[in-house]
Amino acid sequence: MKHREKWKRVDGPARIFVLILSLVVWNEIMDGKKTVFLILLLILAIFPPFVLSQYWLHVMIISLFYVMMASSWNLLAGFTGQVSFAHAAFSGVGAYLSGMLAVFLGLSPWLGIAAGTLGAAILGLGLGFLCIRMGGIYLSLTTLGFSEILRIVITNEDHWTRGTMGLQIPGLFAAYSKTSYYFAFLFFAVMMLVFIYWLIRSEWGVTFRAVLNDEIAASASGINTIRVRILAFTLTSAMAGLAGGLYGHYLMLITPDIPSLGQMFLVLAMAVIGGMGSFAGPIIGSFILEFLSEYIRTWGEYHVLLYGLIALAMARFAPEGIMGLWANKRRNP
Amino acid sequence: MYVTNGIVIGVINAISAIGVSLIVGIMKVVNFAHGELYIFAGYFSYHLSISLGLHPLLAMPLSVFLVFVIGLVMEKTLIRPTYGDDMYSLIITFVLSIVLQNAALLIFGPYPNKPPSLVTGATNILGFFHYGNQRLVSFFISLGILFFIFYLIKKTWFGKSIRAVSQDREMSGLMGVDHYRINMLSFGLGAALAGAAGVILAPIFPVTPSSSSAVSLTAFVVVVLGGMGSLKGCIVGGLVLGIIENLGAAYISTMYRHIFAFVILILVLVFRPWGLYGQKT
Repeated sequence: MKHREKWKRVDGPARIFVLILSLVVWNEIMDGKKTVFLILLLILAIFPPFVLSQYWLHVMIISLFYVMMASSWNLLAGFTGQVSFAHAAFSGVGAYLSGMLAVFLGLSPWLGIAAGTLGAAILGLGLGFLCIRMGGIYLSLTTLGFSEILRIVITNEDHWTRGTMGLQIPGLFAAYSKTSYYFAFLFFAVMMLVFIYWLIRSEWGVTFRAVLNDEIAASASGINTIRVRILAFTLTSAMAGLAGGLYGHYLMLITPDIPSLGQMFLVLAMAVIGGMGSFAGPIIGSFILEFLSEYIRTWGEYHVLLYGLIALAMARFAPEGIMGLWANKRRNP
Repeated sequence: MYVTNGIVIGVINAISAIGVSLIVGIMKVVNFAHGELYIFAGYFSYHLSISLGLHPLLAMPLSVFLVFVIGLVMEKTLIRPTYGDDMYSLIITFVLSIVLQNAALLIFGPYPNKPPSLVTGATNILGFFHYGNQRLVSFFISLGILFFIFYLIKKTWFGKSIRAVSQDREMSGLMGVDHYRINMLSFGLGAALAGAAGVILAPIFPVTPSSSSAVSLTAFVVVVLGGMGSLKGCIVGGLVLGIIENLGAAYISTMYRHIFAFVILILVLVFRPWGLYGQKT
């Protein structure tokens, strides 16, 4: 009896977590196939709009945005070893380009998102071309600078972007419905994840990891390391632009917070805590951190400090994140 | 007037940039928490002199020393385990910068704070214009620090081992240099230089937790402009950036003073990616 009452007091998202957790445990015990597990998870992903309140559905949508951001950043950092601090900035490029095209030219949001993705890719190509040949440190420095400058420009050019007040932009759908947004985000997130999964298991993935592990050996075996790195940087910048465009049209109010370093930090913390260099790590990290921040909302801004400390401890003691801890446990139980 | 301002700011830029450059040159680690250390030093000197009532001349070196200790602890606990893994050191110092920035917000609050000035009034310079005494004093203190750093690096045994480690880590180890100690000390020294720039500049430009990223950015641009690991480059780069930023802010737009820095960064990367005095490899 007591257990049943406790279960009733648990809210929607916690129920979903319990379900997914039991699915994982069941899969472990039954030594089930990965495909079966993934299919079950996909079927489960259809339900949230029907069982969750509007509020938690919103949290799910935001989590899916972070899944796209953290997974694409992980493709760059975890698989090719390049730390970019402009990922949030590129999502801001996507959001602002798409939003401003819609506001000033009346372009359809879908075309706008395509333009935003392209814009982010072109900027990524330019930045990558300039600094990747000089090595990883230069990329990190330049992307950090780019991120700050973009935020300053957007904040100051307020007759175009309305600065910190935020620019109001139209939504993706004529009739506002969180359910349609959820499915749109789910569709793009799954497509992106399928693409990333395919990429890291294809020949390209081998090339990426070769560049990460031993640059000299990679170039000795005929890989043009600089071209591979620029390609990875451009590709992931485009992904960030796409995620940012969707995010902007979902919020319908875009502010310079989207391309800020604080946002960048959240994406990075999600990837680091979930596990860099693994496919599932950033996905798990995004959901855990986004849901956790809803629970500790009353703490205000201090949750950034908390996440920072967790991320520091993880990077120091468990550099492969939750996924690394999980794999260790499985190897030596 | 603007050029003078540029030179004064430029010398302080140089001190801050040498802090980054030392660490990059020796450890191949970029300290993204540089601006936060600057902010902490500014707040320390404010609280030591206002809340504890110490004389500013005593509070300033004491705050720099505190930041030096923070730097040593950071290196020992967080940076040392990442040796040889550039990616994790970048991630760790970036996360650290966010943590320290939020910690500063929590401890010191969001308001700008300004430690007391050492001197007041203004001096007439060569009959051209009046210039704030505080800025002149800051200029001479910074020059003193620059000479001290050059002496330390070029003339002492410590400096010799620093240069040895930055040229060839393994060889210097074979020659009997304890490079763990050298790393720790030079990271602390880099932090202390950020702190020195912080205490010198805080009475002129008050510190807030959110002003840290601009400080880091300026230091990074100077380091790239001068060439990574080059001390001479830091000074020339610091002066160039200081003058350009001040002229740009005066004649084009104050809002965009950091844009000039970024434009310079891009131009350097396009035309001379190894910097003014860096080694072309």
